[in-house]
Amino acid sequence: MTPLLSATQTAARRTLPLALCLAAAGCSGPQSALDPAGREAETVAHLFFVMTIGGAVIWLAVIALAVYAGGFKQRTLSEETGQRLILWGGAVVPTLILAALLAYALWLMPDLRPWTREAMAEGGVKGHVTAEQYWWRVRMEGPGGPVESANELIVPVGQRVDLTLTSPDVIHSFWIPALAGKIDMIPGRTNRITLRADRPGVYRGVCAEFCGESHALMAFTVRAVPPQEHAALAAAEARPAAVTSGEGLRLFLEKGCAACHAIRGTEARGGVGPDLTHVGSRPTIAAATLPNDQASRERFLRNPDAVKPGVRMPGYDMLPPAEIETLARFLGDLK
Amino acid sequence: MTAPTSDIEARPTLPERDSPADLERRRTQEVRLRKAWETPSGWHYWTAVNNTEVGVWYTATAFAFMLFAGVLALIMRAQLAVPENDLVSADFYNQAFTLHGTVMMFLFSVPIFEAVAIVILPQMLGARDLPFPRLSAFGFWSFVLGGVFVCGSIFFNAAPNTGWFMYPPLATDEKQSGIGADIWLLGLSFIEVASIAAAVELIVGTLKCRPPGMRINLIPLFAWYILIVAGMILFAFPPLIAGDILFEMERMFDWPFFDPERRGDPLLWQHLFWIFGHPEVYIVFLPAIALIAMIVPTFAQRPIVGYSWIVLAAVGTGFLSFGLWVHHMFATGLPTISLAFFSAASEAVVIPTGVQIFVFIATLLAGRVIFAVPMLFATGGLAIFVIGGLTGVMVALAPFDWQAHDTYFVVAHLHYVLIGGMLFPITAGIYYFYPLVSGKMLSMRLGKIGFWLMFVGFNVGFLPMHLTGLRGMPRRVFTYADGLGWDWLNLVSTVGAFIFAAGVLVVVYDVVRPKGREPYAARNPWNAGTLEWLIGMPGESWGVRSVPFIKSRYPLWDQPDLIRDVDEGRGLLPDAEEGKRETLVTSVLDAEPIQCLRVPGNAVVPMVAAFTLGGVFIAATFKLWITTLVFCVAFLAALIYWLWTGTSVIPEKTEKHVGHGLVLPIYRSGPASIGWWAMFITMVGDATAFASLVFGYFFYWTIHADFVPEGAGPGVLWPMVAMGLLVAAWAATLAARRLNTAGRAGAVRLSLAVATVLTVAGGAAGLWGPWTTNLDPTSDVYPAIVWILVIWAVVHAGVAVIMLLYCLARSLAGRLTREWDIDMANVALYWHFMAITAVVTFGVVGLFPVVG
Amino acid sequence: MFIHGGRNETLWPLIGPPAVWAIHFTASYVWAAIACAKTTHEDAIYLTARIGIGVMTVLALAAIAYASYHAWRVWGFGRYEPPHADDTEEDRRRFLGYATLLLAALSAVSVIFVALPAAFIPECTW
Repeated sequence: MTPLLSATQTAARRTLPLALCLAAAGCSGPQSALDPAGREAETVAHLFFVMTIGGAVIWLAVIALAVYAGGFKQRTLSEETGQRLILWGGAVVPTLILAALLAYALWLMPDLRPWTREAMAEGGVKGHVTAEQYWWRVRMEGPGGPVESANELIVPVGQRVDLTLTSPDVIHSFWIPALAGKIDMIPGRTNRITLRADRPGVYRGVCAEFCGESHALMAFTVRAVPPQEHAALAAAEARPAAVTSGEGLRLFLEKGCAACHAIRGTEARGGVGPDLTHVGSRPTIAAATLPNDQASRERFLRNPDAVKPGVRMPGYDMLPPAEIETLARFLGDLK
Repeated sequence: MTAPTSDIEARPTLPERDSPADLERRRTQEVRLRKAWETPSGWHYWTAVNNTEVGVWYTATAFAFMLFAGVLALIMRAQLAVPENDLVSADFYNQAFTLHGTVMMFLFSVPIFEAVAIVILPQMLGARDLPFPRLSAFGFWSFVLGGVFVCGSIFFNAAPNTGWFMYPPLATDEKQSGIGADIWLLGLSFIEVASIAAAVELIVGTLKCRPPGMRINLIPLFAWYILIVAGMILFAFPPLIAGDILFEMERMFDWPFFDPERRGDPLLWQHLFWIFGHPEVYIVFLPAIALIAMIVPTFAQRPIVGYSWIVLAAVGTGFLSFGLWVHHMFATGLPTISLAFFSAASEAVVIPTGVQIFVFIATLLAGRVIFAVPMLFATGGLAIFVIGGLTGVMVALAPFDWQAHDTYFVVAHLHYVLIGGMLFPITAGIYYFYPLVSGKMLSMRLGKIGFWLMFVGFNVGFLPMHLTGLRGMPRRVFTYADGLGWDWLNLVSTVGAFIFAAGVLVVVYDVVRPKGREPYAARNPWNAGTLEWLIGMPGESWGVRSVPFIKSRYPLWDQPDLIRDVDEGRGLLPDAEEGKRETLVTSVLDAEPIQCLRVPGNAVVPMVAAFTLGGVFIAATFKLWITTLVFCVAFLAALIYWLWTGTSVIPEKTEKHVGHGLVLPIYRSGPASIGWWAMFITMVGDATAFASLVFGYFFYWTIHADFVPEGAGPGVLWPMVAMGLLVAAWAATLAARRLNTAGRAGAVRLSLAVATVLTVAGGAAGLWGPWTTNLDPTSDVYPAIVWILVIWAVVHAGVAVIMLLYCLARSLAGRLTREWDIDMANVALYWHFMAITAVVTFGVVGLFPVVG
Repeated sequence: MFIHGGRNETLWPLIGPPAVWAIHFTASYVWAAIACAKTTHEDAIYLTARIGIGVMTVLALAAIAYASYHAWRVWGFGRYEPPHADDTEEDRRRFLGYATLLLAALSAVSVIFVALPAAFIPECTW
């Protein structure tokens, strides 16, 4: 029996944390490990709640005993009883609890992460994510070959998503709290993770390993959608850009943007920065730092360093406002 | 013990108690003792080396660094109070959190334990001082200089900014990490050297400088912990030093140890860093718990229940803590089974920790508890620490850690552990031991106010962080977006942090406020049972008036006449007839007196040595190579002057009457001498660093299918020649030692000269191998690691040459003879390690490519 | 050797059992790590490592059992209750025996903990 797939267990797993969280300050959020929407995250959230309750009980017992010993006891303990208390309370009972907990966790482990290997054999959606200071290059496998995008991951609900993860510059860490725990992206090494979203929604992923000046501003959006919708979105993503002519594109090419950015279907083929073919369809820009609206796009074009310190993109403050506006509008039109 | 060839008249028995003759004896003894142990005044005050001075400076400096790092923390909390705040820049924030972690760990947590131990360990052991007072002073001055250098960098916007664990490639990238990373590496390497010096001092102090009768089953629990922790330092710090060497070679000379493009691997740094980093948590935690183990019996007014259990816990933790390091690397994608081993060991280490807590609870249950401020801090700390321990159990499980790792959950966890397990116990210790240092008590009222502010502020500040982290907030972010559910949690944390800081300020005020008009505390104000409370209020710089015979774990409770005997000079060493500073050396298990040790007095040379060594590191940071070289030479000169004038001093007589009819030798060499022990312990640390480099070699072999490129390598011939020559030099050194025992000075000198020549030749042959085969260390990781191993061995051969020449010079100067042979014995001991280093190095670089 | 008391006693037996743990831990980790790093997909080699760890575990436990028996004897077969706080060579010996015995128990538990992964984790993952 796998511990993860029983329907009643899953239901119990969902209600228990929820009840607890409502009682506390609330656990919800687009980036919360306690508001799980995926296979691994759910198991771990369950593990957390069990351990928290157990831990709270242990803490209360120890502190109650200490307070009693310090201030309220009526008579003193003999040396022998004290030794026995240490043996049982300090050694034997903790050993048993820890052994049980360890065995449980070890039993869970092969079912969480070696699951990846099984997934590679069985198929599902595949892709490759590269973390670069300070954004995410996403290359999903499609029927017509890999399709590059950036800072947005679109996954089908209920299906496996197998990702290989690398980094060309420094160590980053790939983390979508609502779906699964994190795994580092280390130069020279290739790591893998398998995700499965069980609930449609929009979640947030972040870089979890300090990676430089704007580490704090390196996030991405995860959209979990039903499989049919996913197929449609993936097909749309694979198409060339919606706008392949006009003043905006002319400026884009003339001002040197194409040296770093690609827009499929045009002459812009730069590979240094994010692919902008469908940048207009993404909910955010600058790795989930700003909303994708005209004002933010203009702001970022003018002085990216003010938004994201240390970013590699130069500022275009020297362009007349009208040109900035045209460029920003053009990018917004790249749906 | 050597056969007595005494030239001393047997002492007359002591005069009758309180007779005029007795009073006169006591008075003259006190005058002489006071003069021998006098603290210098004026500017010379800073040349003091006595543990009471150095320890207090050390403690105060560590606290100053703590307050500095605390201010950085408050700046960070202010920045995070609201989302999208722009109080400080991203770069400043990154410098602030890097420096906060670095300073708290390297300049506060570890040094404070050394500092407190330097102050109280000799008192607890009824010793006049630690065995190597000048080494303590050297460590202190190194610490001050290195600490100021590292902290000061932030005022020049040059502080390290890549996090306190300095992961490459970010931290090896000169453009992104700037000079800050060099400051971190070199500044801290310097301080690590000081920590190892302290470890040597404390191990020898605990094992060899106890009062007679204090058998190993009677030593204060604090001493047990210090022994274990000092041993841990010996195995934990050297891997970091090895890592620092690789790191700095990459930064300065582009050797690709962590660069994947040239087959290096960033993960090797993580291994080396955390092999140090996790034991370090226990290096910080155990001494603080040791303070609680002294405080609890005092306030329960009974001996500890479960003394043996504490020993179990301390030793057990010491070992297990070395099997945890990969739990900082659970998210790096290592094979599941590797993670699982470290999960398992991380759960196992909880057992001894639980034992310690139950020992305290059992002792409280078995005693009649007096609740004073030290107990308040101790129990408050315990309540906090247990939460940290329980969250530690959680993050030790890899699946949970995949979520919690590098989030505010971990920030909360580590602060619960360190503040509950270290800062609160230290504060308890300050309130408890303050009278030992100043003779005055701290204010109980301010203590209570400080405690409650700290306790409430801490929990308000850090408890919400568990939730913040699991709701997705990563650590080390200078800002965060609105609407992720973190706003209120962060605001509450900031408020809590400032309340906590207010509590710390109250305690600091209590410590530094002038107490001139307050009366001195009563002697042994807490009615404690251990020896440090023998001290008068205020104490004398000689420490203990005379060294008592010990029969109990709590001698002040169980030996009614003890204080009087000590005060009246009826213990051992009641006098300083020759005006020398003396303390007792005893055997390890049963504390039988074996030597009257003369400890060196005040001197400026430890400070000079520390500052010149600091100059080496600082000049190297700025790549001022000529200045570096000048400082190197100056340091070497200072060191040799120090050794020549201050160590293995030939006494004017072989033996001395120390009281109670006991005659002890003054000069001992070989395994019976403390200098031999210091050499042995230092070399164990040195061997650990070497083992870490060898680990690096095999680490690369593990991850690369073709680690040794076809046809590359230093060849077999020259490494074997080097090995042979160095082993021959080792044999020549041993011959010199043997000839010295036989008293054949001429042959000794010849042997030493031959050994020197062989060593020089061996070193040259070692370098010649990789040189003639054109191994370019910047081209690939294989030549780089080969070169590092060879350089390590050759540098050690260089040190060996200096030692051999030193012995030769001592022999020519008549200071190394058959009878006075400490130097020869210690150098021979060094050579055992040197021989192992040579055989392993040249065996690995020469033969492994053939075999593997 | 040199940490001796009367009759050639030393402090070293105290750290015998945890040293056994340390060796067992290191050997298990290194064996598994090399098996996984050098032979990515050969299950037989990984299986060998698992069995090897099992064998090492039995050996380690036997060594600890031997040390425990020795410690138990030094302690006096449980005839004397702690705290062993007397100022005698006998009590010092009993204390060391008792502390070694406790450490042996902790070391045995830790060895078993560290062996559990080999029992539970069926493959190297990838």
